[in-house]
Amino acid sequence: MTGPKRALLWCAGLALAAATVTYPLYANGYYLALGISVLYFTILATAWAMFSGPTRYISLATVAFFGLGAYTAAVLGETMPWPVVLLAAAGVGAFTAAITGLSTLRLSGIYFVIFSFGLAELIRQLVIWYEVNIHKSVGRYLFSAVTQDILYWQLLGLTAIVFLVGWLLGRSRYGLALRAIGADETAASHSGIDATRVKLGVFILSATFMAVTGAVMAPRWTYIDPAIAFNPTISFQVVIMALLGGAGSLFGPVLGVIPLVLLFEVLSATLPNHFSIVLGLIFVLIVMVLPNGVIGLFGTGRWRVPTGGPVAARAGTSDAPLLAVEGVSKSFSGLRAVDDVSFKVAPGEIVGIIGPNGSGKTTLLNTLSGALKPSSGTIRFGGIVLNGLRAHQIARLGLARTFQLVRVMPDLTVAENVAAAQLFSTSNGSSATASELLDLVGLGTVHAAPAGDLTYIDQKRLELARALALQPRLVLLDEWLAGLNPSELETGIALIAKLRDRGFTIIMVEHVMDAIRALCGHCIVMNAGCVIARGGPDEVLSDPKVVAAYLGDDDA
Amino acid sequence: MLLVDIVLPGLVLGGMYALIALGLTLQYGVARIMNLSYGESLVAAAFGAFSLYSGLGLSPLAALLLAVPVAMVVNWLLYRFLLERLMRRSKDRGAQEIDSILVTFGVLFVIQGAMLVAFGGQYYSYSYLSIPLTIMGSTLAVNRLVALLFAALVGGAVYLALTRTRIGTAVRAIAVDANAARLVGIDVAALSGLAFAFGGGLVAVGGVLVSMFLTFNAAMGVIFTMKALVVVIMGGVGNVMGALVAGLLLGVVETAVARLVDPGLTLAATYALFLGVLLIRPTGLFGRAAS
Repeated sequence: MTGPKRALLWCAGLALAAATVTYPLYANGYYLALGISVLYFTILATAWAMFSGPTRYISLATVAFFGLGAYTAAVLGETMPWPVVLLAAAGVGAFTAAITGLSTLRLSGIYFVIFSFGLAELIRQLVIWYEVNIHKSVGRYLFSAVTQDILYWQLLGLTAIVFLVGWLLGRSRYGLALRAIGADETAASHSGIDATRVKLGVFILSATFMAVTGAVMAPRWTYIDPAIAFNPTISFQVVIMALLGGAGSLFGPVLGVIPLVLLFEVLSATLPNHFSIVLGLIFVLIVMVLPNGVIGLFGTGRWRVPTGGPVAARAGTSDAPLLAVEGVSKSFSGLRAVDDVSFKVAPGEIVGIIGPNGSGKTTLLNTLSGALKPSSGTIRFGGIVLNGLRAHQIARLGLARTFQLVRVMPDLTVAENVAAAQLFSTSNGSSATASELLDLVGLGTVHAAPAGDLTYIDQKRLELARALALQPRLVLLDEWLAGLNPSELETGIALIAKLRDRGFTIIMVEHVMDAIRALCGHCIVMNAGCVIARGGPDEVLSDPKVVAAYLGDDDA
Repeated sequence: MLLVDIVLPGLVLGGMYALIALGLTLQYGVARIMNLSYGESLVAAAFGAFSLYSGLGLSPLAALLLAVPVAMVVNWLLYRFLLERLMRRSKDRGAQEIDSILVTFGVLFVIQGAMLVAFGGQYYSYSYLSIPLTIMGSTLAVNRLVALLFAALVGGAVYLALTRTRIGTAVRAIAVDANAARLVGIDVAALSGLAFAFGGGLVAVGGVLVSMFLTFNAAMGVIFTMKALVVVIMGGVGNVMGALVAGLLLGVVETAVARLVDPGLTLAATYALFLGVLLIRPTGLFGRAAS
């Protein structure tokens, strides 16, 4: 962008900001009220998109938090100073979001939509019940000295804060973490992201803004009852505005708020009876025609990728086994998928786990990576007992994995996929950066492409790069070579050998026996959940028990 | 006889819940389309029955013969012109689900708005078969028992159609995995539309029967949607018998809370039960474990 053009944009921006701040000084009552509507929907829609945009958890609980804020203001407004009231509203919103979030954020998709929908109704019912039985009156009066001008400026300040917080969040590692969770929650937690905590944190943040907005808006009504404060239409309007503008970016929602607030204003003035028909038709049109919102028309603005730290294998410090598995079993209601398995892995070693399909290999890996909890037995990793730790905790300890059915985060770019695994890395070794890792697996040239556009093979490479980005001491490869053609297989084997030379310790579940022979020093053969043989590859592959397990007995 | 006073009315109420949930079992559980305008369709059917009864003196049971085909055609059109496009737009099940939720939101407002224009916001009811009947010291209305009977009959018929016929089996195959169903030669688009239309027909059955004994207005569709969703999810998505049992259970729990604790807390009880089931058994009381 050229100098004069940039200066012109700055001037325009400043003029707009000045016009917005001084708006109450020249706008009359009607237009001021319209400005207030635009501002409060901007805050609600931006706060909504802060959580629901990246995670795609469609929340219909906006009005639950908004209403709680308004009620807090109605209850405390006449006895407490106004800043205390706003703080109390923020506290009530955050507290309610924490409680409901803790119990519901593990629900995804439709379950979350329904629950958030019900939450607003539930809170409204509880408030009504309280007001009728304890307070003995359904409505409350709130007389305060807050004029329309002051209300406008309060909302303007809150708008500035919500944009600032949203901008900071987008730049921080939590922003990328949230998008990684939205793209593939399992892959995200195996990349060391504490999905529950990140989701809960942003949910609380978003709810806090909604509650404060409710409190700021409360004086506008003078009389408040649950039907006003918890009007479900607000939740729907917020969703449709954010979607129209585009929930995937910070400034998307506001592009939906302005036209829709104006349209609703015109509609309720001219066609009050047909308001909801028109609202519904607009809703249908937006979903059908503008799936990415108005801002999607201008191309999606990608967030800056935080540059991760350098990456290397963390060297083992002693001769003690890196991984010690002792008597691990995993049962699924009667079926023992893994039965009393014990083995050790020394630093720098490649251990192969082989066995027929259904012999429990992937289940064993799942107990190691924290995807499943072992029913009994102990897993020690570098001296730390892994039993009971969650996937992201195990990943952060330096135990990375790939998945048998490849899992990349499709909407994130290749580079972001790798960066996601470096967000919460705690170690500080040094030898390779994220782009070096992509070069290592042969993806250096496509780092800006969405991961979902990669071919199957390249997605597998990306998964490996993502696993390595955790700076793992141990990498679990679950049939990483499956589905490769002969020349790709050769490259793949060479790549794993290169990793071994760099000092990575690897456990590979594999059916490609050439790879097992070429790479593994030690093999474990599983059948029906048990270890039936162990030793060098040539040794175990000629073991009659192993041959029988793969091909059946002679007399079968 | 407190126990009888709770269990009998609870079962009758639960029968109604099962009845209003049947259509959703097909639309969401089988066609895998989350129809949030479900309750509005149900109330629309109730208004239809009311108009026919008060205007032409047509009995609600006769009105079924008219309401069900109309509802099926409307729902088929809805599927054909809105939902099928969304299904084709994205391959990802999660994105399809969110898109269908959003678009049926829009439909919800359109139907609700149309009913508000036609009937206004006031409550409606009419009297049909409201004959009191005393069973074991507990008084029940005949129309509620008729509704309960219909719920059991229709539920049984749907169950048999899904498990004992070729088309039913094909529809269940789509519910499990639409892509795999396509590979074995099932016309996924046509059958999903059919299942959705049938679900719409069942909504009409529920709406007409409910109108015999409930007071309703244009704005209360949301309540039916929520109740139906809770029942369907609790029973295990796509499980007709599970929905029947979950509906009865919900009815008994609500009646118990209303009788023993506070009538104002029945909704809270519904959600507590719903959330409890979701957290402990995410696939529903009778759902199979997710693959």
